[in-house]
Amino acid sequence: MAVEGEEEKTKSFKLLGILDIQNTPCAREAVLHGSAASILVGLGHFLATSRVKRSFDFGVGGFMLTTLGSWFYCRYNNAKLRMQQKLIKDGLKNKVMYEGTSLDPTRKQNSSQGGGS
Amino acid sequence: MAHPSQLGFQDAASPVMEELLHFHDHTLMIVFLISTLVLYIIVAMVSTKLTNKYVLDSQEIEIVWTVLPAVILILIALPSLRILYLMDEINDPHLTIKAMGHQWYWSYEYTDYEDLGFDSYMIPTQDLSPGQFRLLETDHRMVVPMESPIRVLVSAEDVLHSWAVPALGIKMDAVPGRLNQTAFITSRPGVYYGQCSEICGANHSFMPIVVEAVPLEHFENWSSLMLEES
Repeated sequence: MAVEGEEEKTKSFKLLGILDIQNTPCAREAVLHGSAASILVGLGHFLATSRVKRSFDFGVGGFMLTTLGSWFYCRYNNAKLRMQQKLIKDGLKNKVMYEGTSLDPTRKQNSSQGGGS
Repeated sequence: MAHPSQLGFQDAASPVMEELLHFHDHTLMIVFLISTLVLYIIVAMVSTKLTNKYVLDSQEIEIVWTVLPAVILILIALPSLRILYLMDEINDPHLTIKAMGHQWYWSYEYTDYEDLGFDSYMIPTQDLSPGQFRLLETDHRMVVPMESPIRVLVSAEDVLHSWAVPALGIKMDAVPGRLNQTAFITSRPGVYYGQCSEICGANHSFMPIVVEAVPLEHFENWSSLMLEES
């Protein structure tokens, strides 16, 4: 397993030598969205204005804004998912540990529902 | 654990280290975008045909290159402060361990219930068994129960040392006459390696730290065994 893990790590591709887009969650998605937006915005601006340098400026600007936006959106959803996974894991652990006792979390919910009806 | 020619962090074994990894990814993406922008500006400046060298001021660009760095710094600082305060949360530890630095070994004391203490010396290279790691293995490991909050009180008996375990996201200076406190929870069972991180003499590189996280019943068996041996 350690050898396979090391092989995966040695295959990692780093943009500008720093950003590992294969092993960093959301990085590949953000860079792809940014690249697509950069091409669209740059090409669109060039077709509209025929100004090459200014189109490149818009392309780079579009890349940066789209990469940042996609990155934050994906990381926010990722963080929410991790929180939910943690809550589920803790809930399962508490359920297993306290099942059949007075501290059983599902038992408390059932008794409160029974009291209400 | 670390592998040869590694550049990045080790896999996280505690929730705090997971948060630090995510913060690092966030900051690295910002650094990547800044680098891309700077690279593009360099290429644009080198290839421009504009020759006006007498521009003395420009309010617009001054505003941009003041506001933009401030915004970037805020984007980095907010998650950073969140993790800083997360690391200082009071977490009602189940166990307190004292880690004392000596020249050149660590000693651990488990004094919550019984008086258990032992030294942890590095295993010399010539005494290693096949599969063991050079300069990282110790004769006695600091065994802790997994998924339990553990408090570690770090100090030293002679000179400055530093108790560091990268996989747990911990580094705490061991200062003679001072008690420093840190805490951690291991998310999964395993063996986590660290090394002394403050120069402390000739054998500073040869006093490693090994933390072994095991299920509670294994920890109880181990502590009974260690008490019998001592």
